[in-house]
Amino acid sequence: MTDIGNVALWITFFVALWASVVGFLAGRTHRPELARSAERSIFVMWGLLVIAAVALMRALLTHDFNVEYVAAYTSRNLPVFYTWSAFYAGQKGSLLLWALVVSTFGSVALLVNRGKYRELTPYVAGTIAIVVVFFVATMVFASNPFERLGFTPPDGRGLNPQLQNPGMVFHPPMLYLGYTSISVPFAFAVAALLSGRLDTGWLHAIRRWTLVSWLFLSCGIVLGMWWAYVELGWGGYWAWDPVENASFLPWLTMTAFLHSVMIQEKRGMLKKWNIGLVVGSFLLSIFGTFLTRSGVISSVHSFSQSNVGWFFLVFLVLAAVLGFGLLAWRWPMLQAEVKLESLVSREGSFLFNNLILIVIAFSVFWGTLFPVISEALRGTKVTVGPPFFNLVNVPLGLMLLLLTGIGPLIAWRRASPENLRRQFLWPVTALLVTAASLAAIRMSDWWSVVAYALGAFVVGTVVQEFVRGTLARHRLHGEMYPLAFVRLVGRNRRRYGGYVVHLGMVMLFAAFAGLAFKRETEVTLKPGQSVDVKSPYGWTYHITHQGVSQYEQLNRYVTAATVDVLRNGKYIGTMRSEKRQHLDSLGRPTFEPSTAVAIHSDAREDLYVVFAGAVEGTEEAVFRITINPLVWWVWYGGFVLALGGLITLWPGAQGPTAASRRRAEPAGYVAQVA
Amino acid sequence: MWRRSPSLLLALACGVTAALAAQAPNADSAAISNAIRTRPGDSLGRLAVPEAAGRPAEVVTARDNEELVKAIEHKIRCTCGCNLDVFTCRTTDFTCSTSPAMHQMVLARLGSGMTEAQVLASFQQQYGEMIFMAPPRHGFNWVAYLMPYVGLAVGLGLVGAVARRWFRATPKAAPPAPGAATADASPEELERLKRELEKFEA
Repeated sequence: MTDIGNVALWITFFVALWASVVGFLAGRTHRPELARSAERSIFVMWGLLVIAAVALMRALLTHDFNVEYVAAYTSRNLPVFYTWSAFYAGQKGSLLLWALVVSTFGSVALLVNRGKYRELTPYVAGTIAIVVVFFVATMVFASNPFERLGFTPPDGRGLNPQLQNPGMVFHPPMLYLGYTSISVPFAFAVAALLSGRLDTGWLHAIRRWTLVSWLFLSCGIVLGMWWAYVELGWGGYWAWDPVENASFLPWLTMTAFLHSVMIQEKRGMLKKWNIGLVVGSFLLSIFGTFLTRSGVISSVHSFSQSNVGWFFLVFLVLAAVLGFGLLAWRWPMLQAEVKLESLVSREGSFLFNNLILIVIAFSVFWGTLFPVISEALRGTKVTVGPPFFNLVNVPLGLMLLLLTGIGPLIAWRRASPENLRRQFLWPVTALLVTAASLAAIRMSDWWSVVAYALGAFVVGTVVQEFVRGTLARHRLHGEMYPLAFVRLVGRNRRRYGGYVVHLGMVMLFAAFAGLAFKRETEVTLKPGQSVDVKSPYGWTYHITHQGVSQYEQLNRYVTAATVDVLRNGKYIGTMRSEKRQHLDSLGRPTFEPSTAVAIHSDAREDLYVVFAGAVEGTEEAVFRITINPLVWWVWYGGFVLALGGLITLWPGAQGPTAASRRRAEPAGYVAQVA
Repeated sequence: MWRRSPSLLLALACGVTAALAAQAPNADSAAISNAIRTRPGDSLGRLAVPEAAGRPAEVVTARDNEELVKAIEHKIRCTCGCNLDVFTCRTTDFTCSTSPAMHQMVLARLGSGMTEAQVLASFQQQYGEMIFMAPPRHGFNWVAYLMPYVGLAVGLGLVGAVARRWFRATPKAAPPAPGAATADASPEELERLKRELEKFEA
């Protein structure tokens, strides 16, 4: 079966080459038979990649250790759940997944838009095919998942214990889905530039795709934070690691695009900027993988380093030349249809919002690459870690939070003093009351005070919008308030889904600000001994070590340290942190022992206990105890963020605005509800 | 972990910031009490498979938890290649032998009477600038800190320049015609708007 998979990869390579050539030829010559051939080739390509994926999955599930990839990432006693996830645990499998997902998204994009955008789709097929050519070429020439060993080992090496976590099962695919789905907007942008159809028609085709990409990226990033928090045991969820930064970069540019595209749809402005953002987002998604694979910058994700980094660099450069070269070529055709009338307007606030998002992206990019720049220019190595990123990005993040509140309330074209007064009276009151309250109770961290005050401002703006909209529906239609609320959201999903996303962002900012109050300590306890730990809220945790036990479980040998926890004298639970020594099917230890964290979580704070080790082989245990305020808000903020994205994305939501449709019609498109 | 009811969470949310603020993080450096209490009669058992519990741990002393020690260790990087600071690495990566050694170096240097600045300078002398978790703010390193804000300034300048050009190109808007609709609509206008909306939604 693996031979079939290997053959399928090679055929995919040639089919994708064919699709890319005929796709661009069809776009240029307007020959429908070539366009049909390109489209069908995309579907064939998808089918072949499915065969290759099934072949690899079969090899994993049947423990075919003669396949190097299977031997490297699985073992006989690896639970099936993780054997399945080993598909993308290593580079070779993840390249196959990437190619499969790109071709899947490409096929879906062509199916969904069948009969529409006829001048664009051949170029779209051609561009998607080029992306697939790149990934398949990387596999067949440098990193083949079906490569065989000269012998068959009795058992595989097994999966890295840190990857044996549910978070790790879902986090990478989500990120891959986010990265790969950007290929579709990129393909449409390239198609629009090549065909010269630069009105808002192509935007209608990609609006949902960009939201899908953004949603997958958001979920992938939050799941990655959750995995880091529950698995790695360092008590945090974001370390500004280069690979984390690489996932954050396209998220920032996509977020900017999702805002600025509204200006183009509504007012016909920022055309060049929007194409630049789509191209930039695609390049940054490739840049992330380049960083992961190349080892140019040291990262905790260095387990994924390999020799294919330079393939990615070459592809990155070619894609940048193609994308920005086409943009430069079509520059004169991308003039705004109207001019900005005032900076005190929705357009103005979105401009500033885009500016801040891009500056944050630049600062993250710059900080990530600065060690390389410093070494190249000065010959001096430096480290750019969390203190740098926090110092630079906290003020920028707070500016963004302020604009999150301002943007939705300010009028299009030009805001009048009356509009400003009416819209901002209550939100500004919320801001001032919150700031004054926190100052009055002497909150010591001023950045946190500003964050919570701005958070109150944004919540004020969102609540005001929901309340006013519901009241207006109640007044106009005589609907009951709950019904009016549901219909308000249901009939303006894009707008109100966006507000829910803003609420999610406020929850995330509140959680980040809570980090200023983190406390951490280490302690050694014998069984029966206790320690008192004071929370930032003022209460005391009384933690008693109950002892250490050892037992075999699944594919590991567990050493578990158990503590009983009282908060202000009241029992709140028993927590167990573990050391896990993973074993192969012959009972031999594999990898170093890993740590399983014990977490007691509620909306106020997490008590985070890590069993650091046993003293001299006895039950005397060293514990790292961390109190992390407001971490709960990260996970639920992420959930609310995703919920808002889903509301916006849900089928049946209104399509392009009337203004946007008007802009597409003169160009000859049949305006379609996306 | 997630058992709280939504209403309770909402209620808690209101008190979160106020309760947080009641305790400043650095106001009480002895907030975490290491006064360990022992129950009489507890015995110390031995593990059946000690090696399965990882590298043997050292007993934690009060000095290990000193705020000054933590502050220094949060500023210097573990050289094992993990990208973490020394404190985080030594209390997280229990297989690393580099960060415990660096921790001992910090304790020894503080014990010899060095100040925080001197300890940090000694690490810089030993390992170079890369030992710090962020580039020290001097010389070329200022470029790292200032570039994002230079970018912001350039961006603001560009927005300003483009906006000024656009404003010059935009003819002044004509004053609204007499009788044009305003935000404060009459009941008749509202009724008409309602009919139109219903027609639109149907």
